[in-house]
Amino acid sequence: MLSYYFMLGVRSLRRNPALTALMVLTLAIGVAASVATLTILHVMSSNPIPQKSERLFVPLIDNGPLEGYNPADSSHDFDQMSYIDASNLLKGGFGERRTALYGIGPEIEPARKDLPVISAQGVAPTRDFFAMFDVPFLYGQAWSEADDKAGADVVVLSRAMSEKLFGGGVNPVGQRIRMMGFDFQVIGVLQDWLPLPKFYRLIGGPGAFGQQEDVMIPFSSAIRHETQHNGGMSCSSRRDPGWQGLLNSECTWLAFYIETKSGADRAELQSYLQNYTDDQRKLGRLKRNAPNLVFDVMEWLEFNKVVGKDSRLSAWLAFGFLLLCLVNTIGLLLAKFSVRAAEVGIRRALGASRNEIFQQFLTETAVVGLVGGVLGLVLAFCALALIAMQSKELAVVAHMDIEMLALTFVLSLLAAIFAGLFPTWRACQVTPAIQLKSQ
Amino acid sequence: MLRMTKLSKVYRTHMIETHALRGFEIQVNQGEFVTVTGPSGSGKTSFLNIAGLLEEFTDGEYILDGVNVKGMDDNARSRLRNEKLGFIFQGFNLIPDLSLFDNVDVPLRYRGFNAAERKERIEDALAKVGLASRMKHYPAELSGGQQQRVAIARALAGSPKLLLADEPTGNLDTQMARGVMELLEEINAQGTTILMVTHDPELAVRSQRNVHIIDGQVSDLVRKTPSLYDTNAGTHVA
Repeated sequence: MLSYYFMLGVRSLRRNPALTALMVLTLAIGVAASVATLTILHVMSSNPIPQKSERLFVPLIDNGPLEGYNPADSSHDFDQMSYIDASNLLKGGFGERRTALYGIGPEIEPARKDLPVISAQGVAPTRDFFAMFDVPFLYGQAWSEADDKAGADVVVLSRAMSEKLFGGGVNPVGQRIRMMGFDFQVIGVLQDWLPLPKFYRLIGGPGAFGQQEDVMIPFSSAIRHETQHNGGMSCSSRRDPGWQGLLNSECTWLAFYIETKSGADRAELQSYLQNYTDDQRKLGRLKRNAPNLVFDVMEWLEFNKVVGKDSRLSAWLAFGFLLLCLVNTIGLLLAKFSVRAAEVGIRRALGASRNEIFQQFLTETAVVGLVGGVLGLVLAFCALALIAMQSKELAVVAHMDIEMLALTFVLSLLAAIFAGLFPTWRACQVTPAIQLKSQ
Repeated sequence: MLRMTKLSKVYRTHMIETHALRGFEIQVNQGEFVTVTGPSGSGKTSFLNIAGLLEEFTDGEYILDGVNVKGMDDNARSRLRNEKLGFIFQGFNLIPDLSLFDNVDVPLRYRGFNAAERKERIEDALAKVGLASRMKHYPAELSGGQQQRVAIARALAGSPKLLLADEPTGNLDTQMARGVMELLEEINAQGTTILMVTHDPELAVRSQRNVHIIDGQVSDLVRKTPSLYDTNAGTHVA
């Protein structure tokens, strides 16, 4: 019977084209608004590395001064790590892999004289970064452990930067580029890789929804070249001037990640950090004696409030708008079904039960929902395109994936069925005898 | 075929109670053609609606083809209506945006027949009323008489045991009315029981038996000609 009801539903679309168009449009606008905001929220709140997010950890060590410190205050004034702690933890070797990293903004002098100097965006991690975050290579590979130890001048390029410097389809591995006044050997080219949110570089720089970095050089090389960091830094105590002064200071400016074998190793990591900070206190550091914090990837995103209140509010407002559209759709469906009381009477007389009338009319509203879903999808794409035009960050998140595509139809269908419940119930209450006599 | 015993129907509002039927008793036998007459407001339509399971009655007993319908839920009543009854209305009551084929198909869908059987029954029914060639047409493309023939085909397609007709010629001119009446007589002659409400005394005299209703009660039963199919036709039950 469902196919029969579906066929009747398709026919009923033609019965009153103006009313049908109004219903479909109302539903489509409501669904499009909801899906567009939900798409952005979905991207913002999605797990950027689901295969191992539970065993990638960000440790935070409170190295702030005692002055002004209130242990009862749960807010944290530190979200990165000092060079002292980062280099100690790198040397400590806990976990399967580990990396410190910071953002850099090197200038590249292309070999081609027709190209101007390029201000690139980059990041300086250790070699473990690539394996930790499953970074895909187009050409070449990550630098070696020896490169890390030596602070070698090697570079991994993004595909876009490689094409800019060497042309499309060219494998530049082994070639050299002039960067920050030094020659760096190209050791690898990445495929397009942009986990969203960009969890590994939330603090400072372009943030959670920035573009893919153009270059990656070893952390040790960046330190050796005294490469200025491009991102946030927190210095709550006095430090000596100069690069060495920064390295010796308690300023926090580095991100740090540890990969363990499994999520269950978290307690072991906590214990390791506790031992480390106890040792550091014996050396006169970490006076606050505050507990160390450990976040997995999703906790880290939550801690940094990647999904802002504005985004959540927008989603709620969009759903409020959808509700308003649904109320309108209910009114339109009531009007549509009220003129079909005679048909209900006839069908009842010919043997349809109330249940069958209910199924028929609800299927008809589902058909309206499906058509509304198609139009809603088109409108949602348009809305996302408009949103993407507002800024580069929004352009990164304003794209629809297969899940959201499916959600558009499901939402539209559910919305239509929800809107159709009351009008359908009303239609079923028709007294056939009265309708049949009044014809 | 149909038996009502001490049946009553009361319509209640906040202010008043209206007794549409009271102590109503009737028996219609298999194969009969019974007309129901009576003045406006006498209870003819209430009787027909209750007989057709479109309304519930307040008290009494109603046996339809051996089934006591009292207390049946909506699904069971609908199934019984679909399997045993056919309806013909004064206003034809065809669904305007369905073709003749699809209109006749409606009760067969609810019966659960497969596509092949439905097609065969629809074609047979439309052929029986002389409209086989117009099954792709829509009701608005037909005359009143033709529309009523489609309604009859729809009622017949499910092979009902009892055909309920509510002034089936009321909206037709004399010639068309005569044609419809002849068709009903032909259907009855083939064994289908017919219960027809009418205001037209000429049509009433053409039936085998006329039941007259006044103030919600059967006032008299007039025997006409004996039914070809039932020896008990015309039994006085009121």
